[in-house]
Amino acid sequence: MGFRSHRLEPHKSFRFVFFCCLTAVFQLSALSGGAAATGDSSYLTELIERATAAHLADEREWHVLLHYNRNLFSGFTSMQDDPGFFMAPDGKTNPQAELAATLTRFFSDELVGRSKQPAQCAFVARYHWLKDKLQFDDRRLPAQPCERFWRWFNEFNAEAISVIFPTGFMNNPASMFGHTFLRIDAKGQTPQTRILAYTINYAADVPPNAGLEYGFKGVFGLYQGNFSTIPYYLKVQEYRDIENRDIWEYQLDFTEQQVRRLLMHTWEMGNAYFDYFFFDENCSFHILSLIEAAEPSIHLLDRFPFYSIPVDTVRLLAESGLVREVVSRPSRSTLVRRKREAMNQEERSWLNQLIRDPEALKSEHFRSLSLDRQAFVLETASDYLLMRGSGAGAEGEPFREKNKAILSARSQMKVAPTEIPIEPYVKRPDLGHGTSRIGFGAGWRNDRAFEEINVRAAYQDLLDPEYGYTPNAQIELMSLAVRHYHNESQARLERFSPLNMISLSPMDSLFQAPSWNLNLGMNTINFGGCQLCTNGYFNGGLGGAVESHFVGRQIFYAMGQVEADASKAYEDNYRIGGGATFGMLTNLTDRWKLWASGTYLRFPLGDKSEDFRWFVGQRFTLTTNLAFRVEYNHRSHDNDVLATLQMYF
Amino acid sequence: MMKRVLVISVALLFGLQAGFVMAAATGNPDTGPGCGLGKLAWQNYPHQKTIGVQVLESTTNGTFGSTTFGISSGTSGCTNDGQFWASEKTNIFAAINFDNLAQDMAVGQGEHLASLATLMGIPADQQPAFFAMTQERYAYFIKAGESSPTAMVKALNDASATQPKLAKVSLNK
Repeated sequence: MGFRSHRLEPHKSFRFVFFCCLTAVFQLSALSGGAAATGDSSYLTELIERATAAHLADEREWHVLLHYNRNLFSGFTSMQDDPGFFMAPDGKTNPQAELAATLTRFFSDELVGRSKQPAQCAFVARYHWLKDKLQFDDRRLPAQPCERFWRWFNEFNAEAISVIFPTGFMNNPASMFGHTFLRIDAKGQTPQTRILAYTINYAADVPPNAGLEYGFKGVFGLYQGNFSTIPYYLKVQEYRDIENRDIWEYQLDFTEQQVRRLLMHTWEMGNAYFDYFFFDENCSFHILSLIEAAEPSIHLLDRFPFYSIPVDTVRLLAESGLVREVVSRPSRSTLVRRKREAMNQEERSWLNQLIRDPEALKSEHFRSLSLDRQAFVLETASDYLLMRGSGAGAEGEPFREKNKAILSARSQMKVAPTEIPIEPYVKRPDLGHGTSRIGFGAGWRNDRAFEEINVRAAYQDLLDPEYGYTPNAQIELMSLAVRHYHNESQARLERFSPLNMISLSPMDSLFQAPSWNLNLGMNTINFGGCQLCTNGYFNGGLGGAVESHFVGRQIFYAMGQVEADASKAYEDNYRIGGGATFGMLTNLTDRWKLWASGTYLRFPLGDKSEDFRWFVGQRFTLTTNLAFRVEYNHRSHDNDVLATLQMYF
Repeated sequence: MMKRVLVISVALLFGLQAGFVMAAATGNPDTGPGCGLGKLAWQNYPHQKTIGVQVLESTTNGTFGSTTFGISSGTSGCTNDGQFWASEKTNIFAAINFDNLAQDMAVGQGEHLASLATLMGIPADQQPAFFAMTQERYAYFIKAGESSPTAMVKALNDASATQPKLAKVSLNK
């Protein structure tokens, strides 16, 4: 399961160090036939003594470079899992032995690690750190030329590092939290050419023809995670063009020296792999580990002992003052939305016609628009057709054919495109509320007064403030509520849900994605003679949504529902049925949001019954991380009013 | 404990998703330059794979094997230690970004076109003339590109050589 051990306060053990010296000497003699033969063994002994005296193996930088974690009780273990990453046989758990063995190998040009280079080159960050700390004498410990490393390093022509955050992608559950990777910004790079930069991406290495089991394996750490340098233009295609995710780019405030250290450590990662865990040792976690290598004095990983959600890691970087500049890169669907918003009624109608049939562009009425506006409509049509055609195989062919006709016409209009500001669909993620939430509330259920505490591990529900999150998307993981009813002697678990998701996608002439919901867990019901009874449920639905702008912004939705309940309150202890739900969400102001829904369900299986439910809730945002809610839940003969103060963290 | 339950709940969700659609996976023909990069193009991305595979690819964020872009992974396909061979950079860029390039050329500007010009070694002050030329002769370049992206790059290079404002570039080649 990959629980990493908690990091405790450092403590030093003299005996431990002494033991390590012995190991080091053993290492030295073991290698004397090969490695030390090429070098100066008295100088090696001297370096190891000086390193031991200076306690270099206890230094933070050494631990960062080797990915050591302090064990729960004593000692260290590296998170890194490739044996070739360590120079000592017990290097994974013995920082001191590893340091001595590393120094030993620096005297040799024997090829080590998966990347098959001399140790000085394969572990170039370790080499430069130790060289600086111990002031290596180049005559006694000759420096390897490391052509492969320097060619690689120079090819980047690096000036800065950016953290790239493609925002969540609701229609693929595994990417709903987004992703993070680094981009190596080159000297002389402009906003127009930054797609040429390389990235540093951490991902699990998965065989090409994967099936169902791979989702599980990705979660449970059964894959090897590796670093790779995929060009940014490929990542832009993947996230912006194909998956329609807005991308946020955070350039880090790094010095040239820090950039260099980061790249040196990245090169070392070519010899490494980590067991990949979706929730904790994931992309975001290991990207932070590279940033720590650039600047070991900042502690980032310690902040994520259990799981790391990409947006939290980005927020931490921003709050640590490491971010220099933030820019957004809107997805193709955001481009289409914003451009269409900038059109008048007539232009929108032409857009719809051109998408259906590009022949419409020959019409005199279309040609009567100003050339600027004709061009603007054609560009938007092309964006839409690219969105539908990109990566869509044979099904995308009609869209690609139409796009050719549109672009061919556009190329004959010698006007510059109209530039409009493109507001991203997902606003700056690091400025949104915290991903966890705790609420303190009170209310009445029928004639019983109660107090409630509710907690949610992650992430967002439809009433939470939207800033920084994908609008109209609810992802709640691990939420629970405990209530104390005044006329009961003890508290009870009122609700618990491991997973509760709703995705509302407003449909119109251009966008037709379905809306859906999925919810499972337990709640407390009053049914028949059973008061405050525990009920387990599963609920799922599929339907559609539309958006309007009467006062502020509204989403209306309707979905068919299926539900299964299990409780001793029911005859036969269960019921299964279906029905429909209708709802409306409205942002009355930037701070104030309302949600109302009504549901009718009929249960033909098990306890034959029906249920009419309705719900009205409102949220008022006090500060980014503080909100006030009042919610009213009605079920047959059961009324529940709850007022809560909610804090995000 | 919390994490364990989290994991189980999400795993359950994957199971559901993957259960809905199981289509046959088909190969993606290699249509790029000689070093085998066509496999990188996204031509059939959402449809050639099952939903289950897409889910997995994002659980792991793994879309390409680590062989092509793996750091210090040696030489493979079009890359050296994870970076493109210098000789192939421009052709690869044109092949992978053909759709975006076509749009930029039709409009007469854009980041993909500017990036291609930069790879071709066209100085910033001459790029506006280059952009205008690609728009002017759009149909010709697209036709070349449809036969092969490499042919389009060659056509662009040749055309730059005969364009007075751009001729200097090609002389430098």
